[in-house]
This record gives sequence, C-alpha cells and structure tokens, in this order.
Amino acid sequence: MGKGYRQAPGKGGSSKKRTDGKRQAGQQDFGVPGSGGSDPHSKLQDLDYVPESVGGWKKQPRGPHVHDRHVTGTTIGKSVPLVDANWKMTGQAQYGDDIRLPGELIGKILRSPHHYAKIKSIDTAAAEAMDGVVAVATGQDSVNKFGVLPVTKDEHAMAQDKVRHVGDLVACVCAVDEATAIDAMNSISVDYEILPSIHDMEDGLLDSENPIHDRGKYHIGESNVQKRVFQQFGDLDSMSTAPFRHEADWEVAGLHHGFTEPHAVVAHWDPSGRLTVWSPQQVPHYLHRALSAVLDIPMHQINVHRTFVGGGFGGKSDPFPHEMCAAILARKSGRPVRINFDREEVYWINRGRHPSRIQMGVFADDDGRIAGIETDALIDGGAFASFGHVTTYYNGVLHTAPYEIGGFNYTGARVWTNKPASGAMRGHGAVNSRCAVEVGLDAVAEQMGVDPMTLRLANLLPPHSRTITGFRITSTGMRECLAKVRELSGWDEKFRNMPLGKGIGVGCGFFISGSGLPIHWDPENFPHATVHLQCDMDGGVTVHTGAAEIGQGSDTAVAQAVAEVLALPLDMIRIRSKESDTAPVDLGSYSSRVTFMNCNAAIRAAIELRDKVMKAAHEILGHHPDVLVIGDRRIYYKHDPAVGVSWLEAVHKAQADVGSLISSGAYRTAPMGGVHKGAAAGLAPAYSFSAYVAEVDVDVETGFVKVAKAWAAHDCGKALNPLAVKGQIIGSCHMGMGQVLSEEMKYGRDGHLMNPDLLDYKIMSVHEMPDVVPIIVESNDPEGPFGAKEAGEGPLLPILPAVCNAIYDAIGIRIDELPVTPDRLHKRIEKHCKKMGVDDPLDLPIPRYEPSPLQQRLMERAEAHAARDHLRDIQEDRSSYVNGVLFGFDPDKPMSEQSDGWRESVTPTAEDLADPKKRAARAWSHVERRYQGDA
Amino acid sequence: MRMPPFTLHTPDNLAKAIALAAELDSFDWISGGTDLLPNYKWKLNPKPDVISLSKVQELTALSGTVIGAMVRIHDLVENESVHPLIRETAGTIASVMIRRSATVGGNICLDTRCYWFNQTEEWRRSIDWCHKCDCDTGADCRVIPNQNTLCVATYQADLAAAFIALDATIHLASASGARSMPFADFFELDGMTRNVLKTGELVTHVTLPDDAKNWQGAYQKLRLRETWDFPEAGVAAAWKIEGGKIAGLRLATTGCESIPGDHSELADGAIGEWAGKDSIRELAEGVRKAVKPVSNTYFPPAYRRKMLRVLTRRALSPLEHL
Repeated sequence: MGKGYRQAPGKGGSSKKRTDGKRQAGQQDFGVPGSGGSDPHSKLQDLDYVPESVGGWKKQPRGPHVHDRHVTGTTIGKSVPLVDANWKMTGQAQYGDDIRLPGELIGKILRSPHHYAKIKSIDTAAAEAMDGVVAVATGQDSVNKFGVLPVTKDEHAMAQDKVRHVGDLVACVCAVDEATAIDAMNSISVDYEILPSIHDMEDGLLDSENPIHDRGKYHIGESNVQKRVFQQFGDLDSMSTAPFRHEADWEVAGLHHGFTEPHAVVAHWDPSGRLTVWSPQQVPHYLHRALSAVLDIPMHQINVHRTFVGGGFGGKSDPFPHEMCAAILARKSGRPVRINFDREEVYWINRGRHPSRIQMGVFADDDGRIAGIETDALIDGGAFASFGHVTTYYNGVLHTAPYEIGGFNYTGARVWTNKPASGAMRGHGAVNSRCAVEVGLDAVAEQMGVDPMTLRLANLLPPHSRTITGFRITSTGMRECLAKVRELSGWDEKFRNMPLGKGIGVGCGFFISGSGLPIHWDPENFPHATVHLQCDMDGGVTVHTGAAEIGQGSDTAVAQAVAEVLALPLDMIRIRSKESDTAPVDLGSYSSRVTFMNCNAAIRAAIELRDKVMKAAHEILGHHPDVLVIGDRRIYYKHDPAVGVSWLEAVHKAQADVGSLISSGAYRTAPMGGVHKGAAAGLAPAYSFSAYVAEVDVDVETGFVKVAKAWAAHDCGKALNPLAVKGQIIGSCHMGMGQVLSEEMKYGRDGHLMNPDLLDYKIMSVHEMPDVVPIIVESNDPEGPFGAKEAGEGPLLPILPAVCNAIYDAIGIRIDELPVTPDRLHKRIEKHCKKMGVDDPLDLPIPRYEPSPLQQRLMERAEAHAARDHLRDIQEDRSSYVNGVLFGFDPDKPMSEQSDGWRESVTPTAEDLADPKKRAARAWSHVERRYQGDA
Repeated sequence: MRMPPFTLHTPDNLAKAIALAAELDSFDWISGGTDLLPNYKWKLNPKPDVISLSKVQELTALSGTVIGAMVRIHDLVENESVHPLIRETAGTIASVMIRRSATVGGNICLDTRCYWFNQTEEWRRSIDWCHKCDCDTGADCRVIPNQNTLCVATYQADLAAAFIALDATIHLASASGARSMPFADFFELDGMTRNVLKTGELVTHVTLPDDAKNWQGAYQKLRLRETWDFPEAGVAAAWKIEGGKIAGLRLATTGCESIPGDHSELADGAIGEWAGKDSIRELAEGVRKAVKPVSNTYFPPAYRRKMLRVLTRRALSPLEHL
C-alpha cells in the first residue's frame, strides 16, 4: 500500500486490509495506482527492459510508469490518423440512416402538441385501416419503464396516461413508405385534457396538484423535485468570515449537443426470433438492458448493433423511446422497421445541458487561501430524469479540485418541468458551475490585488492527494498547464494592460477520467471494461471490444494500445466493436472513461497474447523471454538482435497445439471514495486538468465578443495520439465557445422551444473560431494506460470562464449570464455606462492591476508548492496529503479531532437552509412521502 | 422531413413561363430554391405546381446597370462590373454554398420570416398555427395577438437595402405586360402579400441609374454569425461626392420590418448643413426612430433598433470628416 493515498484522514492503513477479496470503499486505503484491479500485472519498470531504440535510457520527468516496460516505440505518442477515418472520408461509413434491410418499413412517431396533458383516448382505427400501414402501436403496447439510471426509471416507449412536453411520444406507426406513414400518423386522433404546465424551474420547487411524475413513497413532498443534494465539508465558519468574497447569481441557458447526425434506428426480429437493433448509440450496453426490460425478453435474445455515430457528445447515451418504438413495431409487423429523426425531433428528445440557476460564493482568507466555495445550483431537468441524478451531484462535487479549499457547502436540486429532458452533455454537470467558480476566483483575486494566475498557482492540490470530499487525485499537470498558457499567451504583458475592448482571461478545469462507480456495475462481479484478442494464422490481431467509437477515436486508441504492446503496425490490428453479440460488455462512451479503462483492459489482453507468442519464441530461440525484445513484427535476442524469429513464425509455433490464440483483459477501478451518501458521484480513477487563456475583442457599441485567440493547455496524462488529443482540445473550444457566446435553447413566452433547428440554434461557424493553440501536458498518470487520462470532456470547461474573465479585462463587466449574446452584453454595457456616469461606451474606464503585498507572498508560496509537487511526482515524497494541509491540518488524524468547526454532513439542518436566496435549498422544505407518517 | 409533392415545370423562355403561369391556378416560381424548398419541407404554404426559371435565358443579364433576376448571388460577388455596394452586400448573404444557388430575384422576393412561422408543421400545430399559414383554421397572429389582419413577419433580405440606396428600378413582367417602378415601391406593408407582384407576374431584372458608378456606399449588417444568418438589421448607405462635398445621400434599412425602409428623404435633408459626426449621429437617431421591429427574430427588437443607430453611424463613417 502506498503511503500517499488516504481514503480519509486518520482512517485506513494496512491493519484494516481485508483478506477475503471483498472490496470495500471508505474502509481501506486507496488502491495503489497502476494495480488496475484485481490482477496487478505490472512491476515497476526496470529500465533495462525498454529497448534503447525507443528511449530506454531516458529518465521520465515524472518518474517511471508501470506500462513503461510494455512500450515498444510502435505507435504510442505518435500522431496517427484515426483508423476509421478513411471510411468516413470516402463516404462508406454506415451511420444510423444508412442501414437498409430488405423489406423494411418506415416508422413515424406521433408526438404531443401540448406541454402537459392527460390522454383520455387514442383512436388508431383510421390509421390501421389505411393501405400500406402494417402496424400501429401506442403506450398500451409497452408498459414497462426504463431510464438510463436504475434508480430513476421514469420513461416509457410511448406515453401511458399523460404527455409531459411538446414532442413527447404518443403513438407510432409503420408503413411501406414514408408518405403513407406520415398520413397514418396524422390520422390518429388523440383526445387530450390539458393540464397546467410548468416552465420556470423555480415553479418546480413548489407543491403541485399534478406532479409531472409520481415516484410513490420516494416522491419528494408533492413537488416536482426530482433530486436534491446537500453536502457540507470543512470549516464553514471561516468561510463566512472570509475577508475576500465574491458572490454571484448565475443564469445559464440550456444547451443542445448539436451533433451532425440526427437519431436513427432500425430494428429487426430475425427468423431465429432474435432482435437486432441498429442505432448510433454511445452506450449500446444500456440500450441492450433497456430493450430487454421494455420488451420482456432476455438479453441473450438481443443483438445491439452500434452503427457509425455522427457525433454524440452525451446526446446519444440514453436508451431512447424511439429505439423501443422501432423494436415494438418490428415485433408487431414482423418486418424490419426504420425510424429516422428530423432535426426538430432531435431537439425534442434533447438530453442537453441543463438550464441552471447557480448561486456561487467564492471566499478567500488573508493568506490568499481559498477559504471555501459555496454553491446553490437549481437545474432544470425537463420532463424526465435521464442522467439528472448524477448531474445534480456534479454541479457541486466537481469543483472540489484542482484547488485546496477550506470548506465546501453545496445545495443542489433538479426539478421536472414540461420541457424536453435535459441530460448529459460533454463536461457533464461540471461546466456551468466551473465557469462560476473560475469567474469568482478572478473577482476574488482582483479584490486581493493579486494576479489571478498566481492565486491559482498558490492554491493547487498537489499530485497524489485527496480532495475535501474524498476523491483520490493521482497525477495532476495543473501547474504546468497554467505555466504554459501564461508564457505562450504573453499573459504578464497583457493582463490588465490592454486598451478598452481588448481583454485576456484565464480559466481552469478539472474533470473525471472515467466514472469510478459506473451506473450499471456490480463491483464484485463485473469489470468496467473487457477486451478480447484473437490472433489466427495470418498474424493479424482482431480486437473485440464493446467500447463505442463515436468519433472520439476509441477504436484507434484500443488499436494503438494493442499494437504498442505487440509491436505490430496498426494495419495488422482489426477492431470489432459494433455488435453486442461479438463484443464483451463495455459500459459505453460516457464520463470520459473509454481510453482510460478500455486501453487498460487492452494492454492486459495484449500482454497475455504477447506472453504466449514470447513463450513460443523462447522455444524456437532458446532464450528466456526476459532477454527477448519484441520489435516490429520480429522477436529478437536483446544482446544480439541478429538472433530472432519473425512474429508470424512465433505465432504459428504458439498455435501448434491450440489453434487461434485468444486472450482477454479487463479493467476495474480500485476501491475508492468516502462512505457518505453521494460519495461515489464524481469518483474517478484519475482526473484530467486544464488551463486556458483566451484573448477577446469586445465591440463596446454592439456587445459583440470575438475570441481572437485561445491558448489551451490540457493535461491528458500521456497523449497516446497527439493528433487526436489536439483535435479534442480544438473541438472542445468550439463547443465551449458556443455555450459562452451564442448557443441556447430559447423558450418562448408560452413555453415553446423557439429554435429547434440549426439556423436559430447558433452553433459557432468557422468565422467565429479563434486561432486555438492546443498545448498537451503529460503528467504520466500512474493508473492510466501508458500514463494517459481523458481528453474528451475536460478541455471544454476552461474556455467558458477564460472568455468571461477576458470580457471583464476588456470592459470591466462581470459576466453572470450565459450565453453572452450581443444583446445581453449590450444591456450590461448600457447599465455599466450609467453606473460609471459615461454617455459613450467608448469612454468606459477599464480595470487596472496594482499588485498588493499579498502578490509577493503568493508567488513565493506557488514556488514552494512547485518544488513540493515535483518531489511528490518523482516519488521522493509520497507522504500522505489531503485537502486541508494548506490550512494546517495533519493528514494522518481525523479532521474533526483537529478542529471544532470541521463539519462533514450530507443531511441539512433547518439553519443550513435558512438563506432565502438559496433556491435549491428550498427543495429540502418538502418531506419525502415515506417519511410523512400515516397521513 | 419530406418534400410535399408538386409538379415541376421548366419553360425555356420568358414568354412560355408567363403563358404557363397564366394557366395554373396555384403555383410558385422557383429560381435557386434556397428559400422556397426549406419552406416547402416545413409545409409553409406549398403549392401543387412550381415553375422553374432555371432555363429562362432572358433573366440572366448582368452589367454595371442591369442585373437579371436569375443572376446567381455568387456571380454578383465575383463580377467586377457590378456596383461595389451591390457586391459588398451580396457578399454578406448566407454562405458561399447558398450564394451559388440563390438568385437576385429570389433574394428580392424572399418570403418574410417569423419565429412563429418558420417552424415545422408539428411545431406550428402545437401553437395552433398562425395567420401567415393558418391551414384553414383562421388562426390569429402569434407575435401580436388580437391586433389586425396585417402580418408582421420580417423581411430579411439584404440586397433590397442596397438597391434602394442606389435608387434602383425594378422591372416586372406578366401576361398583361411589363411594368417598372422605383425599387422601394415594390414592397407592400404586409408580411403575407409582401410585394406588388400579381399572380402570374415575376421580377425580370433590376436596373441602376446611369450615374450609379458615381455613387459610393457601404452596407452594415447585424447578425450573430458571420455566415448563414439572415440580417437582424441591415443599413445600406450610398452617397455622391462632388467637389469635396456631399452631393447626394441615400439610406435604406432591411431586416427590421415586413418591408425594407427607404430613409433617403431623411438623409437628403441632412446634406444641406452637413456637420460630419454630428449630422451622422442625428441621422442615425432618425433611422432608429423611423423603424419599429417586433419580437419575431433572433435578437430582441429593442436591441435591433439600437443597433440600427450604430450600423447607420458605421455605414456613414467615411463621411465623418466632410
């Protein structure tokens, strides 16, 4: 057990180690990174074993990695095009809409025209009687509930008794062609009784005569509160008396992912009675489970076939009702059924970022330490739960790093409203509140008279530490990210030093690299990811994996991991990741887990396969595998490379008695996290870190903001494929810029979504894109595959606050509403002019920077911390470190024993909720029905 | 998204097109199709017959003073003989891809747009339709309910402002003959009827005055993105300098009301006692007051009005020091 990881201050240690093999979170010390689960295959690197040709003599800046001895110099760290790029570039990739089966029928979905209504009756007779119509289905054909999270299943294939938003599914038809299907759909008559609908999220907090869902004894009062969270950690008293404080009330609009490919699905029951569903899914396994539950058939009778995915970003990670509809219609009609969405339907199924109202308090003490972060987040979930249970946690718990904080006080609530459902979107739950935290830090730095860069650098959690709520931080490249963007952007010359309208700002981010306790996962029985390899007489290796390639490059990453260990060129690796029939279970492409978990599994499988081939080479060459080196399609004697055997020859020898070589590798996380309610939310085997600097031009007369340039540093642990990482960084910038400057789901005065199309849902065009300088920082994560961490979501977070802070630098206005559209900013500029007493916005004064004495102290502290972090990185100092050490706490004793003011609570007292300004806190005014007594 | 079925006619000269139009009960002209076809897919007043003008050669003339209705907007941008103000304005329309299909006539006759109208059929059903496309329900206006019979959908085409600023003349043709009129007179203050075109009539070309080349100009456009987006407000200005003095000044706006606005009288009145920046400021304020957008496009109307002031100032900025 490494000393550096404390599950909880004063807890853990080898004496409590369990010997029965059970894994119990909260009781043991964190697992040593690199163990990667129950079979710790790797020994620490012996540099001797890395061939000199690939840099075996080089000392790694952050110490050795357990995978170093499996590096063959083949492909890891090299920019390679994605392995499926040519399929897409030549138009041969088959997306959802490209699947054509003989005899297919076209399905259409009848949707609700009302926000909220009871269905009194549905008459489908006319539709059924139409020529060319083969089957019609309504809610009666499918009464089983489903939902992406087992705890909040609240969806049906079609409405049961009521519709909950405009666009909610009511019935579906399938016919021989689309025109007939549309006619049939329009001929279904539905008798509705309209109910009063809820559109403002604050109304969702109130008791309602007709809550949008009924959760039985778990229902929270009679309200529309779907989930509420309360977390208090640390010394809240010093928070309330902190001398530097910034409190802001944020209004953040809802967002849609805006992926290119609309949803599409094909379902077919084959002659063996099995169901195959083709769908561009991020999470085929959850669809697999949901289909089984909804259709009442065992999972083994279903084959989920993931097609090429034309962009997901979280928007294709729920099991969807239209997928159920296709399967139901296919069962009824006995023929394949295809359903393609129009763009508008994509907005109705939504699952985008939650519209949110966030109260954010950032506090700092006289020593320039972050005394605490206080957050109250009310988020608008729309009509269904989707991922909302998790989102409600993420809005709070994901700002407990990268900074060491004195206290953390979070109230969060998610309510149902009669809107399309919100869900998971790139940067899930972390984006909005991260923006608020980083803008708060900028404001606090200004109050202190310190450079916001320095404030951040002097308050970072070190590597190999623990956050205030108990996340295990392994590697962190936060410091290097900040240093790089500071230098490359010319920060020191530009900050508070540019003319009116020109500004520069910094923002940081922190994101999970895989969910430590994923949704459908049995910690005792299933790994997170499994990879099977097969190598036949041709010498090529087929990789069977369930990881969903959604354009992020997961096929390429797993191919690279296998190719690296086996020292084979990428074209000898074949990926089979599409079908559940042939792929081992993978939990899907969400929470930035795939590269981290799947590549770890792939490395394990590849090592097993390699060992078989090495053993055969041993038999041929007579040298022990320890002194054999695997190079490009050849295995040779380390001390005389002329003595060797070809890959193919060794493979043939290994196959002599067993035929095709197969191997399997899996990955599961070490037991982690605290024991408090919600401790699992935000838990990850590693975290990514990023820091961006953005430079903006603000047109003070029109309110237009143009991002001129962005320097984007992201710590992805190790860039397995720098080309792909840079692509993710630039893409994240584009998406984040959309959220901060233009994208929003606009609801009209009657609650209608006004812009369900790509003309008025304003995704940034190439003209608005700044020059993005992607900067890769490699912190060499001890548990990541070859040191890698995620790069798909984290890079989105910092661009928002960087732009907001740059706007402040440019015109002196603190942003607290997103997106910062020109009309909104113009209004703020007008107000600001009035406040400053100027008529012409061109005469506005702009903020300037006078360093206070604290700046010097913080610079010194940042420097000392940099030295501390370096020692922790290279393992000369791995003493335990937990959040709180900066405030004088001893990491080896329980916090509560060291301070009377220390609190750790997840159930609020009346006093905690007294602040009338806090919206989400009001969710706690209701009593869950099961605790309401007999009444 | 399915195209409603229609019969496509492709006459190969103007006479045949006009004759065909006189025969059909209900039809639309189609030129580039970049406005009409998306509207058809959304079932916005589709017609059973569509007459394509793509083979009508008479409509493709292009010179310094004559611009045919079937000239592609991309060709306007690329052709050096076209007036610089027209080229500049055309270069801001939609995107290059769309400009390669879209035509001058199509842009002039662009259907008016509204948040409550430019939506799919299902969406409009959910608001019980609106009077611009009421599907025989007699629905009211959704922007300003209980008002009058006028439709307030917004005219969001760019070229009209430039044509008005350059004092262009528009030429129409129909079975009952050809007619011409000052460009601004082409429009009718109603988002439904939109312009003076009678059934069977079409725009053939636009002409600029012979001295147009002596006029300079500028076009300023408000839109969130520098591509695709329709103008949320647009200001075109044209002026003639003689002997270091302003000899003529014309101003036009678009993207704010159901028709483009001609503010040339206002502008002309200002040149007598021209005082540089101050005159510009006054004119800009005048334009703002003259135009009254409603809440039916992306930006709120109050903002669009205020921006008219800024756009006018910027369009006229070359005249600051005169």
